[in-house]
Amino acid sequence: MKFEPTQLTSSELELQAEVRDFLATELPPGTYERALGMGAGKDVEFSKKLAARGWVGMALPTQYGGHDRTAVDRFIVVEELLSHGAPIGHHWVADRQTGSIINRFGTEAQRERFLPPICRAELAFSIGMSEPDSGSDLASVSTRATKTDGGWLLNGTKVWTSGAHENDWFVVLCRSAPLEDGNKHQGLSQLLVDLSSPGLEINGIPFLDGSPGFNEVVMTDVFVPDELVLGELGMGWAQNTSELAYERGGPDRWLSTFGIIEEFLRINEGTPLGARAHEMLGSTVARYWGLRNMSLTVARMIDRGEAPAVESSLVKEMGTRFEQDVLQKVLELVELEPSPDSAQLFERLVASAILTGPSFTIRGGTTEILRSVVSKGLGRRGVA
Amino acid sequence: MSDLFTVDPLLTETATDLFASTCDFDEVQASEAAGWSEAVWAPVNEAGFTRIGLPESAGGSGGTLTDAAEVLRVAGAHAAPIPLAETMMLGGWLAVVAELPLPDGPVTVVPGTTNDTLVATRSANGLKVNGSAHRVPWAARSDQIAALVPDTDANELFVVMVKPEDVAITPSTNLAGEPRETIEIDVELDGGFAVVDSSVADQLRLRGALSRTMLMAGALEAMSALTLGYTAERSQFGRPIGRFQAVQQHLVWGAQDAAITKMTAQVASVHAADDVLAARFEIAAARQIANESAATATRWAHQAHGAMGMTQEYALHHLSRRLWAWRHEYSTPGEWAAVVGEHAVSVGADGLYPLVAS
Ligand SMILES: Cc1cc2nc3c(=O)[nH]c(=O)nc-3n(C[C@H](O)[C@H](O)[C@H](O)COP(=O)(O)OP(=O)(O)OC[C@H]3O[C@@H](n4cnc5c(N)ncnc54)[C@H](O)[C@@H]3O)c2cc1C
Repeated sequence: MKFEPTQLTSSELELQAEVRDFLATELPPGTYERALGMGAGKDVEFSKKLAARGWVGMALPTQYGGHDRTAVDRFIVVEELLSHGAPIGHHWVADRQTGSIINRFGTEAQRERFLPPICRAELAFSIGMSEPDSGSDLASVSTRATKTDGGWLLNGTKVWTSGAHENDWFVVLCRSAPLEDGNKHQGLSQLLVDLSSPGLEINGIPFLDGSPGFNEVVMTDVFVPDELVLGELGMGWAQNTSELAYERGGPDRWLSTFGIIEEFLRINEGTPLGARAHEMLGSTVARYWGLRNMSLTVARMIDRGEAPAVESSLVKEMGTRFEQDVLQKVLELVELEPSPDSAQLFERLVASAILTGPSFTIRGGTTEILRSVVSKGLGRRGVA
Repeated sequence: MSDLFTVDPLLTETATDLFASTCDFDEVQASEAAGWSEAVWAPVNEAGFTRIGLPESAGGSGGTLTDAAEVLRVAGAHAAPIPLAETMMLGGWLAVVAELPLPDGPVTVVPGTTNDTLVATRSANGLKVNGSAHRVPWAARSDQIAALVPDTDANELFVVMVKPEDVAITPSTNLAGEPRETIEIDVELDGGFAVVDSSVADQLRLRGALSRTMLMAGALEAMSALTLGYTAERSQFGRPIGRFQAVQQHLVWGAQDAAITKMTAQVASVHAADDVLAARFEIAAARQIANESAATATRWAHQAHGAMGMTQEYALHHLSRRLWAWRHEYSTPGEWAAVVGEHAVSVGADGLYPLVAS
């Protein structure tokens, strides 16, 4: 385990300034409904504007519409977007993970077909991993792909599929060969599946705060042509594990409640805050700063070709717990009865964070599972 | 006799049967969209459970404040979506204290937030009341709204009973989707008001704090049981998740939160029965524990449930969202901790342990 201090280069600082300018023009405070980090809604126009600036799929190769930028460049863009609570829902999953795994594991034809529209923010992806009986234990998925003429027939049910009701495609982790000798990591594949395929049914599951977003996706003999098997048949487990690494360790894992602190400062501008507020702000801001340094280092490691799976799990475990702690600290300070229908943005953000906050330490791999990943890594590599 | 808590177990049992049979998942869920649940209110009211702790002579069902608190605890465990605390312990109590008639239906109460502006002025015909009040539970669905209103010079304190049709109501909800409305009052009353002792405001605050403590105690216990059940059923990696040490930690922490809250809530409710003002320390300490437990236990319960706990199709949110809402009612940040802290300071070093052991 190593977290070497790093800083932004002058060209990286230029990018940062550009993104800040863009957001100051596009999203001045008060002109949009600020979201809690990656829980943001879909705004296709906004995503397309970002794409036009070259900020969607930016780390993908130029020949497929990307910009050959680094993981740190992408980090710089997304930390600004997330800290603004910008409406990134449309392109988020494709930008964070699907584009990368298609580029890394996909066939030439798949890259040519999917990456350019991803970089133009035209294609929105969902994640088809979880099932009713498979959550943390993903290798136990029972969605089955059976060989048929020219492709595969998919049968099974995915659950908690965020955005499936409004996105275009999803990557389905499924069993493409029967379980042998109890080795459940073998015989799994990832399939690229069109969410409008015949035989595919999407049922909304109301989220805790009553909002749509969660879905159950039931697949009955959904035909998937051979050319849409992502990467190599039977390599689904390894590919999926590498996909999860993109899900962890980024600014989306510690910025979810940042807007609450920023709005707290905004509504108190000009009023003396008192010692308790200073204390709360001090401890919170120090930790944002610390986590940001760690998270940036993870991006640097990716750019050096390393595989910081343990480091990114460590950051996610810490960062997501912190996101919940921030909320508690604010609640202990501010007199309010949180109401989702408040007229004030600060109060709406607080209400929304109370209701959706538990999911921060569940989505993308639970805290408990991450702890065991980190502790195994510590065992292998030691602390320093 | 060494027993402190002497509520008749039959009361707890009857209340449990009643709430278990009325507050099923679908009913609690439906009440949120409807803003009211007649299917819960009617049988509970019929059974006289909405008037416990109020004297029979005044139209109540009799019994002590401890009895009422116990019934509330059971109601909290079942997420009963009705103004029970308001009717029996707060609004109804105000009517009784003011010797005003106790209405037949639900009575709600103005909880009193810092931005409320209600004032009263005596007039030739009676009393003029105007201003606004916030976070009034089920105002639109109540028979009467009870409010404590000072006169402009704060010389006199009135209990005022108004009908929802005589006030302007702006809908709003708490985190659990229960109505918490804003009311605008501008009326001249020729009856339905009375002067009360100035300590009534303090008593109402303490009763309010106690009512939420009891509701939270019930919800915490139910949440702990629900989580225990779920983690025994749900299997990952070939065994029930409740067998993993990491999950067991959540279960134990949740059970601890539930246990200490229930125990201290009941102790506080016993002391409160004699004199709420004299039970200030116990109520404040129990409330502080309930607030802290609500914050942590919801975290453990949700974590142990994974994504299942995050949907409205599963019962956890009926409890967790109420806990998140209740911990802010009759409680501002640091309010109850400060009461306990002031007690500690006032008894001094030598009195500290005796206070803990009181
Ligand atoms: C907001 C949100 C959005 C999501 N979006 C998607 C999506 O788009 N696509 C998708 O595929 N999935 C999605 N998920 C699902 C998410 O990936 C799963 O919730 C997660 O993997 C955990 O699985 P589970 O919910 O089934 O919990 P379970 O695996 O049932 O876990 C329940 C509890 O048991 C613990 N546990 C389980 N196994 C162990 C163990 N071996 N040791 C210690 N503790 C253990 C867990 O840590 C947890 O505390 C989403 C979830 C949320 C909350």
